[in-house]
Amino acid sequence: MKFSYFHLMPWTDLEEAPAQWPVSNRAFKPERGKELYDGYIDTMAFAEACGFDWVGCNEHHFSPYGLMANCNLIGSVLASRTKNIKLAMLGNLIPLLNPIRVAEEYAMIDVMSGGRLVAGLIRGVPHEYIAYNVAPGESRERLREATALILKAWTEPEPFGWEGEFYQYPSVSIWPKPYQRPHPPLLMSASNEDSAEFAGQHRAMMGITLIADLKLARRSIEVYRAAARAHGFEPAPEHILLGYNTCIAETDEEARAALREGQRYFHRVLMHSIRDAQRLVIQKSRFFAQEQHGERFVNRLETLKERSIDEMIDAGSVLCGSPQSVVKQIRRIHGELGAGRFNINMKIGNIPDAVVRRGMELFRDRVLPEVAAL
Amino acid sequence: MTAPSFSEQRIELSNGPLTFRTGGVGRPILHLHGTGGPNLSPMLENLAQRHTIYQPVAPGFDGMPAHPSTRSVTDLADLQSEFIRKVIGGPSDVIGLSFGGWVAAWLAARHADLVDQLVLEAPAGLRDPGTGGLPDDPAELRRMLYAVPERAPKPTRSPEALARNRQVREGYAAGISLDQALLEALPRIKARTLILFGTKDEVCPVEKTGRRLKAGITHSHLSFIYGAAHALEYDQPERVARLIGAFLERGEAFLVRNPEAA
Repeated sequence: MKFSYFHLMPWTDLEEAPAQWPVSNRAFKPERGKELYDGYIDTMAFAEACGFDWVGCNEHHFSPYGLMANCNLIGSVLASRTKNIKLAMLGNLIPLLNPIRVAEEYAMIDVMSGGRLVAGLIRGVPHEYIAYNVAPGESRERLREATALILKAWTEPEPFGWEGEFYQYPSVSIWPKPYQRPHPPLLMSASNEDSAEFAGQHRAMMGITLIADLKLARRSIEVYRAAARAHGFEPAPEHILLGYNTCIAETDEEARAALREGQRYFHRVLMHSIRDAQRLVIQKSRFFAQEQHGERFVNRLETLKERSIDEMIDAGSVLCGSPQSVVKQIRRIHGELGAGRFNINMKIGNIPDAVVRRGMELFRDRVLPEVAAL
Repeated sequence: MTAPSFSEQRIELSNGPLTFRTGGVGRPILHLHGTGGPNLSPMLENLAQRHTIYQPVAPGFDGMPAHPSTRSVTDLADLQSEFIRKVIGGPSDVIGLSFGGWVAAWLAARHADLVDQLVLEAPAGLRDPGTGGLPDDPAELRRMLYAVPERAPKPTRSPEALARNRQVREGYAAGISLDQALLEALPRIKARTLILFGTKDEVCPVEKTGRRLKAGITHSHLSFIYGAAHALEYDQPERVARLIGAFLERGEAFLVRNPEAA
């Protein structure tokens, strides 16, 4: 088993739920922002000493949910703060961005880190499309075309032009090219059957952000495996990444209490207005090709919000408890889904950084040694 | 805008007669056809609004008489140079499609002074043996030619006529899929060249062909047409027309975005 240490970089100081989306930035305090960045980056760099294989960054806009509007900036800092850990950008929201810029920035991180980039090519969650004013109904086709263009930008040995539906570039020749050849490993979302198929076609690793239901996750993994096989690629367990909100403490009770508090802030404050924006996009656009995928997306968030910690543990949606309990939970999920890589998020909502750090140490000392060989 | 009318004409060249189609108004374009034979695609009709198009039928294709001394791709290139001199009357822009792209590349290498600007659409002649090529099975052939089958043109020739054209093409190609002599001759091409490949082209895989052309031709631009297979002009007519139109009309300045010129 391999593990990724993932961070959302949340703003932790809001006292009440924002009234609407986007969230007013009146409450943002620059000095506090500096403290948070410093602390979060230290924690992410510390993941290397705790035995994590990857450290993961991501992109979100217009919200205290996460302070990484461009995760490549954090990836760049981590490239110089770490030595061996892979830098997983999970990832750039490709349909919102200039694909050539993505190809360039990813190549920069890959070269600066000596080939440690894992390149996430992600469509993103619905409300981000309001932030950057991109038609949500174009998101899938934009992702498809931009992915093809980024791969060409990384691999073509001569300057080339691109005449597509969404992107036209008369001449492209990026400097630098990636360190890894032919290009860095790709990771794509596979939270529904459509995206799982797309990831398999591209021989990319697949990722599921939040698991509400092991049965649905298994279905996505099956679709991914089948699509990959049809394209001559047999995914290994470590090609399947599952996202887990995780809280590890000395005892089950301590872990539950900390996670409960953190989740309360996460769902009631950080996610509050985001849910409304997501509903708006899902109802008013063709963000999801199939209506059921939109309903499932909304239901998944609602389900996770309403469940107790015990219900979430039983459903395989979180990892929470003493090291011994978390080892059992990891073994169970690994056995049921065959996934070989977990994306561990320990900074849930406003869980104190000291609790997060202690959880990382417990992971290093008492969890990883028990599950690394799985 | 009405489609310009085209007429068929015939000229006697030193090796024999040559039939050609011509139409349109403006700066000349010599259009060299592929294995299937000459076709007037909507893109070509569109170019005829601003250019005079000359589309010769290579000897032997579509039942035209063969020329006893025009046997190879380089012979065809020499024949087209004579056509340019005698019919067009001076240097011309040249578009070559697939097999015609192979001829066009030789024409520009052997008669550099007669080619102003060159467009090579998925040109043949530079693919590794055993890769790409045209399959025999008609369904497979159609799949490899068209990524957007609903945009494929209605057949204008019988399967037998197409098979004969293919035999004529094989005669000129003489079993060559990778023309080493052309590879060596590419630096002699002086014309600014636009090389187009579809991102789904399995007939002439771009990984080798496109890169070889780009590396070999001094002033060249390689462009990918997203969502197109081998029959670029039919799969993505707007993208191809936009690019070729800008290249032919604006030269190197096609690299500079100019919405007014689109």
